[in-house]
Amino acid sequence: MSAGSPECAHARLQIGGDPHNLPPEIAAHVATCAACARFLQETLALDGRLRTALELPLSEFRQKSRAPPARRFALAASVALAVLLAGGFWVLKPQSALAHEVVVHVMEESGSWDQTQLLPAAEVAGILRTAGVEFDASLPVVYGYACPFRGHRVPHFVVQTANGPMTVMLLAHEHVSKRTVFSEAGLHGELLPAGSGSVAVLMRTGEVPEDLAGKIVSAARW
Amino acid sequence: MNQSPRGTTADAPFSRLIEMLRPDLLRFALWLARDRAVAEDVVQETLIRAWKSREELKNPSAARPWLLTIVRREHARLYERKRLPTVDVDAVEALGDPALASDGDAGLHDLRGAIMQLPDEYREPLVMQVLGGFSTVEIAAELKLTQPTVLTRLFRARNKLRVIYGLTPAEDVE
Repeated sequence: MSAGSPECAHARLQIGGDPHNLPPEIAAHVATCAACARFLQETLALDGRLRTALELPLSEFRQKSRAPPARRFALAASVALAVLLAGGFWVLKPQSALAHEVVVHVMEESGSWDQTQLLPAAEVAGILRTAGVEFDASLPVVYGYACPFRGHRVPHFVVQTANGPMTVMLLAHEHVSKRTVFSEAGLHGELLPAGSGSVAVLMRTGEVPEDLAGKIVSAARW
Repeated sequence: MNQSPRGTTADAPFSRLIEMLRPDLLRFALWLARDRAVAEDVVQETLIRAWKSREELKNPSAARPWLLTIVRREHARLYERKRLPTVDVDAVEALGDPALASDGDAGLHDLRGAIMQLPDEYREPLVMQVLGGFSTVEIAAELKLTQPTVLTRLFRARNKLRVIYGLTPAEDVE
């Protein structure tokens, strides 16, 4: 790809260096230069892929780390078998792969379940702003992060309910066609369609009550 | 997430915070070190140092960048202190790790391999920016470089990865 002019060369340096934070003069140039606009689009797409690549599947990494080489195959086989047994038939379905990733993510932040102190509203708003999502379930939020998940920042909350803590992940970029109930590693959850995206809700104490799940879905907007 | 009225984290919430962020720290360390055992050592050192300095963390929401900065410094310190040999890019242990594969996505695996093989001077700011969420100004301050130098390194890092991603690289900058 040719830079064409000194302005283009400068724009591409900025785009390649920090594609999400372009100075105004570079943004103005991109608005009038089709080649640089294409370069920006390509770079943003590359960055999305880069983010996914950098998010190594740590659960696997942690289980395999420091295992002697001779044990690795057996460990991998036992993990695969455990996943098959725990997940049942649904592990072969794309939506269930999403459910599994949600479970793995939630398990990586296992301390989130034990939070009891209310998160300030401003902090919740900041998390939603970071992820570009709206959510108002009128439930007390005791944990929240805009977590990296499948190449996007995803609001990950724990809310207090009468049935115990419930994890909510607002997946604006993950479309699911229908409600999927899953159970894995002691967690009970559901993936629910929500407009163009979806919502994952999980509980440790039992199945997610239907009214709670519906409340969460209706509170999410993107 | 929890904060006492005076703004310092209490020990129990701090421990939970550390536990929650540990995967992020380990991931970050692995990309810096390109060696799982070294990455785990770096994270251990980081957690010890963070625990000793926990009173410095006034705002729990700043914990992640604070800890990632400690990881980066501990990684640098480890090489200085132990004079570890530089990792040979042709023999990066992690390249053969199944964790680098992703659901049969060969493109993702190739991209991870390509990131692993980037020279330190390109990989480190890239990982800090994309995974760590640091700004170019913050990276420059941390690496003791000028911001234009950081921009150039990030540009070159992405330019090398464009090829792996099937894109034509841009002309290099002086």
